[in-house]
Amino acid sequence: MWEMIVGELDHAIQEFARGFAHLLPRLLAMLIIALSGWAVAYVLKAALRVILRITKFDKLSDNAGATQLLNKAALPSSSELLSRVVFWVVWLGFIVLGVQVLGIVGLQEYIARFFLFLPRLFVALFIVFFGLVAASFFSRAALLAAVNAEFPSPRILATSIRTIIIVFTVSMAFEQLGLAERTILVAFAIAFGALMLGLSIAFGVGGRDLARQFLERRFLKEKEEQKQDELSPL
Amino acid sequence: MTGGRLDERSVLNDDFLRQLISVGEVDLLVGVPTHNSARTIGQTVQAIRVGLLKYFPRERVVIVNADGGSKDSTREVIAAASINDPQHPSGVYALRTLHCISTVYGGEPATEIAMHTILAAAELLRAKACAIVSPETTSIAPDWIERLLRPVYRDDFDLVTPVYGRHKFDGLLLRNLVYPMTRALYAQRVREPYAVEFAFSGRLGSHLMEQQVWDHGAGGVGTEMRVTLSAMTGEYRLCQSFLGTKQHLDRGSADLVPAMRQTVGTLFWSLEPNFQLWSADRGTESVPTFGPEYELNVEPIRVNRKRLHQLFTSGVAELEPVLKSILSAQTLAEVQAIATLPEDDFRYPHELWVKTAYEFAASYHKSVINRDHIIQALAPLYRGKVYTFLLENRDASGAQVEANVEALCLTFERLKPYLLDLWNARE
Amino acid sequence: MTLPQDALWYKDAIIYQVHVRTFRDGNCDGIGDFRGLAEKLDYLQELGINALWLMPFFPSPLRDDGYDIADYRSVHPSYGTLDDFKNFLVAAHERGIRVIVEMVLNHTSDQHPWFQESRSSPDNPRRDWYVWSDTDARYRGVRIIFLDTETSNWARDPVSKAYYWHRFFSHQPDLNYDNPAVREEMWSVMQFWLDMGVDGFRLDAVPYLVEREGTSCENLPETHAVLKELRGKLDKHFPGKMLLAEANQWPADLRPYFGDSDEFHMAFHFPLMPRMFMGVKLEDRKPIMDILQQTPEIPDSCQWCLFLRNHDELTLEMVTDIERDYMYDTYAGDKAMRLNLGIRRRLAPLLDNDRRRVELMTGMLMSLPGTPIIYYGDEIGMGDNVHLGDRNGVRTPMQWDGGWNAGFSSADPESLYSPLILDPVYGYPAVNVYSQNRSGHSLLAWMKRTIETRKSNQVFGRGTIEFLHPANHRVLAYVRQFKTETVLVVNNLSSSAQAVELDLKRYKGNILVEMFGRNIFPRVGDLPYLLTMGPYQFFWFRLRRI
Repeated sequence: MWEMIVGELDHAIQEFARGFAHLLPRLLAMLIIALSGWAVAYVLKAALRVILRITKFDKLSDNAGATQLLNKAALPSSSELLSRVVFWVVWLGFIVLGVQVLGIVGLQEYIARFFLFLPRLFVALFIVFFGLVAASFFSRAALLAAVNAEFPSPRILATSIRTIIIVFTVSMAFEQLGLAERTILVAFAIAFGALMLGLSIAFGVGGRDLARQFLERRFLKEKEEQKQDELSPL
Repeated sequence: MTGGRLDERSVLNDDFLRQLISVGEVDLLVGVPTHNSARTIGQTVQAIRVGLLKYFPRERVVIVNADGGSKDSTREVIAAASINDPQHPSGVYALRTLHCISTVYGGEPATEIAMHTILAAAELLRAKACAIVSPETTSIAPDWIERLLRPVYRDDFDLVTPVYGRHKFDGLLLRNLVYPMTRALYAQRVREPYAVEFAFSGRLGSHLMEQQVWDHGAGGVGTEMRVTLSAMTGEYRLCQSFLGTKQHLDRGSADLVPAMRQTVGTLFWSLEPNFQLWSADRGTESVPTFGPEYELNVEPIRVNRKRLHQLFTSGVAELEPVLKSILSAQTLAEVQAIATLPEDDFRYPHELWVKTAYEFAASYHKSVINRDHIIQALAPLYRGKVYTFLLENRDASGAQVEANVEALCLTFERLKPYLLDLWNARE
Repeated sequence: MTLPQDALWYKDAIIYQVHVRTFRDGNCDGIGDFRGLAEKLDYLQELGINALWLMPFFPSPLRDDGYDIADYRSVHPSYGTLDDFKNFLVAAHERGIRVIVEMVLNHTSDQHPWFQESRSSPDNPRRDWYVWSDTDARYRGVRIIFLDTETSNWARDPVSKAYYWHRFFSHQPDLNYDNPAVREEMWSVMQFWLDMGVDGFRLDAVPYLVEREGTSCENLPETHAVLKELRGKLDKHFPGKMLLAEANQWPADLRPYFGDSDEFHMAFHFPLMPRMFMGVKLEDRKPIMDILQQTPEIPDSCQWCLFLRNHDELTLEMVTDIERDYMYDTYAGDKAMRLNLGIRRRLAPLLDNDRRRVELMTGMLMSLPGTPIIYYGDEIGMGDNVHLGDRNGVRTPMQWDGGWNAGFSSADPESLYSPLILDPVYGYPAVNVYSQNRSGHSLLAWMKRTIETRKSNQVFGRGTIEFLHPANHRVLAYVRQFKTETVLVVNNLSSSAQAVELDLKRYKGNILVEMFGRNIFPRVGDLPYLLTMGPYQFFWFRLRRI
C-alpha cells in the first residue's frame, strides 16, 4: 500500500510538475502580454491626451458642465479622466487576454462577456457625456429665450428642461448597459408621468389665473400696444 | 476660380441671367431686396426711378429686385413700375431705357441671399456704383439716390453709409453699443455701421464677393454690418451722406435679439480675423460727411420705460449662472449691485457698460459658452443701459444727446486696453 | 431708258440731293454748272439713284446760297442757261432719273424785281405782294428761326420807311399769300417748270406762308388752304408730279401737311434724324422707337422722306433740352460746330469716320419706312470744313479724284467757289470717287450694293412697319411687310458684340434669307430666335416659307 501512496504521490507530483511546466510558459506569456499591454496602454494614454488637448476636449466638457461635476467629485479634468480610463481599459484588456492564454476554461466565457460588455460601456459613457452637453445647452438656450421673451419664471423652465434631459440620458445609459432595464423603465415612466400630472394639476388649478393671463397676453391686443411703446433698436 | 465663384452660379437662375444679358454693362445699379413688401415697394421704386432720371439722366442704369418669394403683389407692383414710357408721370424725361429686373431667389427669405444676388448682378454688369435701398423705409425720396450714388460715382469713394435725421430715441442699439464700439475698435467714426441704405463702388463690390459677406456659415450673420466692416478693414475710402429723416415700418423690441445678432454678433465675430488691425493703437478718424447739418428730432414720444427696468433686473437675476461664465466676478458684482437700485435712482454708468461690452466680446472670442447664447445674454443688460439713456436724456436737446453719445464713445476708446488685456489673458 | 409711269414712283425712289454749284464745273469758271452735272449723270445712274433733288439754281444775290431768289424763271448765269438746264433734264430722264426742283415759295430775295417795285411806294400795284407794317409790333412772340444772325422778324426798309416781315434772313422778305395775285403768280412759276418736264418740287419753308395775329404764324389753316389749292391744280394739269414739303415740325404737326391726300405727297421726317444719331451714341434704341411710335399714320398715297444729313445744320429743334445738351456734348464738343440750334457737320465726321457706323446709319436710312435721301458726297464719306461761314462747310466741291481741284474743275484753284477739303483724312487725295471705284470694298461700292438691294424689294418703300421689342435694348429690330413680302431688319446700335433673342412666333416656319449675301439662316421655330451681332452690325432678312 505504501508503494501505492508513493506512486500516487509521485503521480500527483508529476502531474503537478507537468501542469506547472505546462503552466509556466503560459504564465510567462501572460506576464509578457501584461507588460506589453501596460506599455501600449501608456502610449495610448499619452497619445489620447495629446489628441484631446489639440481638439480642445476640455472646452467641450466645460460647455457640457461636465468639468463642474467632476470638480465637485474631486476628480481630475475630463480629458485626463478619459485618458486614464482608456489606459486602464486597454491594460485590463491585455491582462484579460493574458489570462485567456493561461487556458483556464471557465474564464473564457467571462472573458468573452467582458469584451462584449466593453463597447456598451463606452456607448453608455458617450451617451451620458453628450446628454450632459445637450442638457446644459438646451437649458441655457431656454433660459435666455425665456428671459428675452419675458416668460414667467425662466429659471424653473431651464432647470426642468435640464432635469428632463439628464433623466432621459441616464435612463438611456442604463438601458445601454443592460442594468436593471425594466426597473429603470418603469421608474422613469412613473416619475415622468407623475411629474406631468402634477404640473398639469398645479398649472390648471393653482395657476388658473396665471394661465388666463398668459393666454391673454399671447393672443390679445395688449401685446400690440406694448409693441407701440417700444423703440426700434436700429 | 475659387469656390466662391462656383456658388455665384447657383444664385443666378437662367431667367435672371437672361435678363442680365439683355441689360448689358451699366454705370449705376440700385438693388432692392423685398419680401412681402407690397405696401411700400411702389413708392420706393418710383422714388428710385425719379432719382435716377433726374440726377443721372445720361448714365446707363438698372434697378435689380431680389425677392424672397413674396406671397403678396410685390412683384406685380415692380413689374408695373418698370414699364418704359417716354413721359414719366413726374415729368422727368428719360433719355435712355431704364431697366428694372427682378428675380426670386430660392430658399428662405434672407437679406444675405438678396445681397448675394445683387452683388453678383453688380459684378456681372460691371456697375461702377451700386446702391442698396430698403423697401421698409417709408421716408425715401428721389434725392436719396443722388446722395448715395454721387460720392461713389463722381467723387471716387468706396462706401457711402447714410446719416439720418432721427428721433433722439430711435436706433438706440446703434447709438449705445454698435457705433461707439465699432468706432473705438476700428478707429473710424461711422454713425450707422449697420445700414439698410448704402452705396458702394464696383471695386468694393468685388471685394465683398470674394469675402462672401453673405455667408451664414462663417458665423457673421449680419450682412449689412459685414459690408461696413469689410470696407473699414480694407483699404477703402468711406464717407457718410445725409439722406433725410428716417421713418420705417414699426418694429417692436421683440426684434431686439435678432437685431443684436446682426450687429453686435457680427461685430464680435469680426474681431478675431481682424485682430492685427483693431489692436493697433490709433486715434479715431472722422469720416467725410456730405449733406447739411441735421438736428435730432426731440419730439416727446411715449416709451414704456418701466418695462425696460424690469427686464433688466429680472434678466440679471435669472441669467446669473450664464453671466457668471461670461463676466468677470467684479463686473458681475457691480451689475448685480445696480440691479438692486430703485427705479428712479437707477443708473448704468458708462464705464461699467463699456466693461460689460468688452467682457462679452472677450468671452465671445473664447467661446466660453455657445456664442449665440452670449449674444442673447447681453440683451437684458443692454436694456438696462437703454433705460439709463432714456432717463438721462428725457429732457435733453439734440445737442446734449449728441454730447452724451460722444462721452460714451470716448469711454469706449479709453478702455480699449482693457479689452486687449482680456483678449490676451485667458490664453 | 424711260421713266416708270407709276403714280407712286416717289415711294420707290432713292433721292440724291445735290447743289449744281458743288458737283462739277463744265465751263472752267470754278463754279459747278448744269453742263458739268449732265456729264456726271452716268455716275449717278451707276450709283443707283433714280431721283435728283436740285437745290435752288435761280438767279440770286447768293446771300443765302440761292434760297434768296431774284428771278423764278431763269437759271443763275454761273450755272448755265435755261437751255443747259433743258438738256440736262432730257439727259437725266434718259437715264431713268427724275428731277425734283427746289421752289422757295415763302420769300424772295430783296433784289427780286417784285420787291424792288413793292418797296418803291405804298401805291405800287405790287405793294401788297409782301407783308408791310408801320411798326414792328405785329405778330409779337413769333419765334426767330435764324437765331444766330437775326434779332427780329421785322426789318426796317429805308426806302419805303416801313417794316417788312421776314421769317428768315432780313434780305429775304416774305411774300404775302393772302394776296390772290401772289398765289396765281407762284402757280404760274411752277407751271413754267412743270411744262419743261420737271418731275416735282421741294417746297421750302411751307409752314410760314401765312401770318395771323395772335398765333405762332406757323402751320395755320390758311397756309394749308393755299397748299391744297396748289395741289389741286397740280393733280389736274400735271398728274404724276410730286410735291415734297420741308416743314421742321413734330410728327403730329406734320400730319396736316399730307391732308387727305390733297396736299403734299411727301414730307421730311425731321424729328427722326437727330434721334438716329442719339440712338447710336447712347447705344439704346429708345429715342428711335419713341419717335417712330409717336409718328402718326399717313394716307396710303403719301410718304415720309428720310435723311441723315443735308445742306443745313443737323437741326436739334425738335428734341428736348436734355437731348439737345446730350447731342451737343457728344457730337459737337467744339462750339464752332454749333449753329442755330444745330450741328453743321457732315455724316462721316459726325460718326468719327467709322465705316461701320456709317454703314449702320445708312442701313437704317434705307430700311425704315420712307424714301431715303442721300446728300451728295456722303456716298464716298466726304468731310466738312467748319471754318467756312454759315453752313458752307458741308457744301464743298464734290471730290472726283485726287488730282487738279479734285476733278471738280479745271479752273484755277483760287477761283473755285469754295476751298476744297485738304486734310489727310477727308481731303480729296484720300476721299474721292475715282479711288473708291477702283476698289470693290470701298464705301462707294458698298453704297451701290446697298441701294441695289433696297431697290430689289418694294417692301422698303411701300411696306408697313412693326417693331419688335427684344429684351436687349441695344438692338433695334422691326419687320417690314408689303403684300406677300416680309423682311426682318435687325440693327445693333452698340459698339460691342451683342446677343439678342427675337420673338418671331408669328413667323414660325419661315426660313430667313440674308439679303446681301443671300445665305440661308435657320428656320424660325418655337423658341426665341437667337442672333449674335458684331459691333454696329445690321441684318436684312427676307422671310420665306418654302
